[in-house]
Amino acid sequence: MPNYPEMKLKEVMAKVFNVHTETITADASPDTIENWDSLRHMNLVLALEQEFNIEFTDDQVVEVLSYKLIKIVLGEHGVVFE
Amino acid sequence: MKRGGPELPSLADIIAFNNSSAELRCDQIARVSILSNFTADGIEPFLVYQCLKNGIRPTIAFGGYDTVLQDLIEMSGGGHSDQPEIIVFSIILEQLDPAYIELEWNSALAQKRLLALFQTAAEKTNALLVVNTFIPPYDADYGIATGTELTERGAEVSAINRAIRDFVRQNHQRFFLVDWERLARICGEHETMDYRFWYMSKAPFKQPFLNQYALEILKVVRALKGKAKKCLLLDCDNTLWGGVVGEDGISGIKLDPHSYPGSVYYDFQRQVLHLYGRGVILALVSKNNEEDVLEVLERHPHCLIKREHLAMWRVNWNEKTENIQSIAEELNLGTDSLVFVDDSPLECDLVGAMLPDVEVCQVPDKLYLLPRLLSRDGLFDTLAVSSEDRNRSAMYRVEAVRKQAERAFGSVEDYLATLGLELTICQAGKEDMARIAQLTQKTNQFNLTTRRYSAAQIEAFSQSGTAAVFSLNVRDRFGDFGLTGVLIAFLDGGVGRIDSFQLSCRVLGRGLETVFLNHCLDRLEERWNVSEWFAEYIPSRKNGQTANFYANAGFVAIRSDAAGTTFRCEAGTRATSPISYITVKEGTDAELS
Repeated sequence: MPNYPEMKLKEVMAKVFNVHTETITADASPDTIENWDSLRHMNLVLALEQEFNIEFTDDQVVEVLSYKLIKIVLGEHGVVFE
Repeated sequence: MKRGGPELPSLADIIAFNNSSAELRCDQIARVSILSNFTADGIEPFLVYQCLKNGIRPTIAFGGYDTVLQDLIEMSGGGHSDQPEIIVFSIILEQLDPAYIELEWNSALAQKRLLALFQTAAEKTNALLVVNTFIPPYDADYGIATGTELTERGAEVSAINRAIRDFVRQNHQRFFLVDWERLARICGEHETMDYRFWYMSKAPFKQPFLNQYALEILKVVRALKGKAKKCLLLDCDNTLWGGVVGEDGISGIKLDPHSYPGSVYYDFQRQVLHLYGRGVILALVSKNNEEDVLEVLERHPHCLIKREHLAMWRVNWNEKTENIQSIAEELNLGTDSLVFVDDSPLECDLVGAMLPDVEVCQVPDKLYLLPRLLSRDGLFDTLAVSSEDRNRSAMYRVEAVRKQAERAFGSVEDYLATLGLELTICQAGKEDMARIAQLTQKTNQFNLTTRRYSAAQIEAFSQSGTAAVFSLNVRDRFGDFGLTGVLIAFLDGGVGRIDSFQLSCRVLGRGLETVFLNHCLDRLEERWNVSEWFAEYIPSRKNGQTANFYANAGFVAIRSDAAGTTFRCEAGTRATSPISYITVKEGTDAELS
């Protein structure tokens, strides 16, 4: 069984940053993805909220600055990975 | 393209669609600049998406954050070719006048600043200018208390919005309004205001509002780029009235404004007539017995649409796709100028599949939404409504009389000789700019270069001293066609370049194309001492009939590739043979500075 939320997360990030899904590795962050600037970060937050049907708290909006952190925060909203 | 389909895709999918659009077929490009005093970048994915969906590839440039005036001044100094065609001002009061958050705020300073900005834009650029109204505060400043001594922001915002609307009305050739107050009313506070990103990133608007905003800007882009629809094709049974006339009879169909569902169909007919009044051509495409339908039009007491409103009808048992194609041919319109309304999902799918350029609108399942079907999306919006538009249907009726007369003659020449064709050609004046711009935006078939211009650009050409804008007015013994031809030429020393040459399809087939061209060039050779001419043919999907026009007029092709053909001609060597049945009158040239 494919890990559905993980695939969905990678797809959303790849679309928002206009890169291949393979680029979205476990250590993905603004340091590894050139397109991850402050404007696209806003799009990322909005797109994630839309795809996972959740709403980040204001702290989380600023926190989710790496692939790992996004997974943790999505987990707090009840998204189950693995 | 079929409408009323799936909802807007998710933001991630919109961004992905935009990023993979390089292969998408777009026959127009648009250069748009957005000058804003807040973080407006959120609109980009929506605006790009909506333009691409309409066959327009946009380049969207954002000014700096809150540097509107500086951006504007820099823009006016730039090169000619990358100037924006449309500048969107996106202004919020909170930034325009920081005192806005105080009690006792009044709008005088903000209004002064704003109108000065608009004036500067009008002077420094040739672009179309899109401006917004402001969203009134969601709470009353003093709660339930009110009184003449209290200055309330709600009332002040109404006042400044009124001033903006008045300004746009008075400067309608250049300025277009996106009424944020109306959009906010449509979306509601929850789908308009993004308080979170306002305080975090100075980005105050939610996505549904931004998408509505993009759709409003799209209407201006689409009208400028010649994408406005021109003709409405209507099914009859369960579209113009409820029921089936062939079975229920004229007394059985539902069209009574005082009972449901007749009230819905009656209102829809009224909406259709509003479009007719704006210059939209109406035609029927219905599988029915012709006499049944005509009887409803003539005799039903509540049928608002009458025979005289229709340019033509195809009421028969043929395939609708065939009927639609024959209407397009007879009216000389491309299928992408057509909107088709039908209640049958089958017919809608067939037309959508066979004629993908036709905009297909299905009668909604929620029938009471039918009257809003055509008014919502600005499909027929043009930048201005001219007297030609308001008279268009009359012109098409006159055309039918002409066609009858034509059939009575043995040869086309015999017929043309009886028409009393009279051309009036002159350098265009200020009052013609809007109509000329509209012709450049709407003419597709007899258009050598398909360059689209705004009225401001046309006016700038005619004032420049190095360009000439000629207009052609045509009349015959049946009536007046109005301003139906344009030639724009640029002059550089002894060399003339024909930038645009086009005629409305209504006056084609009378041999007057070459007469108009030669008359303009003769005049310019005299006046400007032109010794040689260059002209271009740029192929589009529609203008194939003009590929050999310059060659037939005595020009020689000197270069040709996929992008087009360049022609050259020395002064005095053109094939000029006056046509006996055409009279050319010198119009009064406009006094240009």
